[in-house]
Amino acid sequence: MPATQPADILRACGIPFEASTEALGDVVRLEAAKVADTLAALYESGYDFLVDLFATDTGERIEVTWHVRAFAEHADLYLKALVDYDAAAPSVWHIYPAALYPEREAAELLGMTFTGHPNPKRLLTADGAEPFLRKSVLIRTAKEVRRPS
Amino acid sequence: MTDEPRITTPITAEGTTFPGPLPCGLRCIPRGVDELATEHLVLNMGPQHPSTHGVLHILVELDGEEVIAAEASLGYLHRGIEKLAESRRYHQVPTLLDRADYLSGLHSETAWALTVEKLAGIEVPRKASWLRALLMELNRYASHLVWLGTFGMDAGAMAPFLYIMRDREMLLDVIEAITGSRMMFNYVRPGGVAADLPAGVDAKIRAWLDVADTYLDENDALLGGNEIFRLRMKGTGVIDRATALAFGMTGGCLRASGVDYDLRRDVPYCAYPELDFEVPLGVRGDNMDRYDVRVGEMRQCIRLIRQLIDGMPEGEFSGRRSRVLKVPAGECYAAVESPRGELGIHLVSDGGFTPYRMRLRSPAYFNLAVVDEALAGGLIADAIVTLGSLDIVLGEIDR
Repeated sequence: MPATQPADILRACGIPFEASTEALGDVVRLEAAKVADTLAALYESGYDFLVDLFATDTGERIEVTWHVRAFAEHADLYLKALVDYDAAAPSVWHIYPAALYPEREAAELLGMTFTGHPNPKRLLTADGAEPFLRKSVLIRTAKEVRRPS
Repeated sequence: MTDEPRITTPITAEGTTFPGPLPCGLRCIPRGVDELATEHLVLNMGPQHPSTHGVLHILVELDGEEVIAAEASLGYLHRGIEKLAESRRYHQVPTLLDRADYLSGLHSETAWALTVEKLAGIEVPRKASWLRALLMELNRYASHLVWLGTFGMDAGAMAPFLYIMRDREMLLDVIEAITGSRMMFNYVRPGGVAADLPAGVDAKIRAWLDVADTYLDENDALLGGNEIFRLRMKGTGVIDRATALAFGMTGGCLRASGVDYDLRRDVPYCAYPELDFEVPLGVRGDNMDRYDVRVGEMRQCIRLIRQLIDGMPEGEFSGRRSRVLKVPAGECYAAVESPRGELGIHLVSDGGFTPYRMRLRSPAYFNLAVVDEALAGGLIADAIVTLGSLDIVLGEIDR
């Protein structure tokens, strides 16, 4: 683990959060609006690598996960924040340019936005495609699975 | 920074004016006409282009032969694998993952198996771990061979590609003898592997090992020993350490930039803690370094395969498996070192028969993101070589 624990770093910033250790590893849950500040503070204290960024539809809201790593110590940390459907989370590309693609992907596939993204175009799907990683979007519609009579 | 107005201007036609303040570090907006009023040309590379290794579309803005800005546009091979996995049972998902990274399916299968085993608490027999490592190394070598051949083609060397395809054919025969398939394996399952080594395959692998060294030396002499090739590669496509880390690069591309990080050694899995191998490193992060690192990795592959064949333990190749696998609710992440870098699976389970969410952390996706930064400032001919040196597989990028 890094010399400074992530919980200490966040406490020093005065950001409210909930930390826990799960099967996944060290997880910090916090408000979406605070994520950019938090990651900036974590970056300064050694979490210099964004492993992944993705979003999951929980059925009620969208849960965005930022997976960061302190390279020198081989320590991984997961930040999680809940965002409403079609709402916005802050972009963190200015801290981790690696977030540029996954933010565009999460935005189009889950139907949300990342404020401050410099190039918020669609990445993988064509214009008009549904945000199909939402649970409400079915792989096949009822019409498609109906057998021809 | 976060309150900056969104700039939605894509690369527009030539001769456009400066659209506004540039976000720092990002080069996806044309700079228009420079002081000498030379006209910029916006060129579409792909989606069908021999040097984009699949269906990748890159927009490049050129000033003469110099690349001013580049932007990759993806999605031509997007099949929604992450969504499809949500309606597949745990045993059925590796079939999808084979088609994600079609050059090294065994790595994504193993990543999936490791994730499911971690969350469900399934024990794996020692032999299964060794078989997985053996197959992964064979597959890594096969994948690196494709890269070596196509990289030579990008640089204008046609002959090595033909020799390399001959070598790869021999290796794929070995893999086929073990897994029953050349590319779409479905061999690694949660709990173990699908089948034991067939009788007589030892001799087949050893026969291949006997010639692999020689073939690799020949191919390396043809390409890497060529003065013209070396001069072309040196100093082009430089990705320094800070840029590589900032863009989340992993694998050979990161090690070529001088970062000593290999999951096989640093976060060990399967049989790797018991094996002896080195991690080749680069210094400058240019195309030559990426070439040397990967060829060095291929030599280490041969070394690993020898150890794996010699030390293959006796025992069961698979643990007790239930017909229907149910994974307890929770979240889990496991990763393997694929030929392209850290291939991770992030699995969210709600305790049902199918995954609730499967996220594939694809290494080439992050390695490719750097092209917007790395191609700018170089020549168009170097851009093609740089793209080739990144070793992208579009099936994995678009998923």
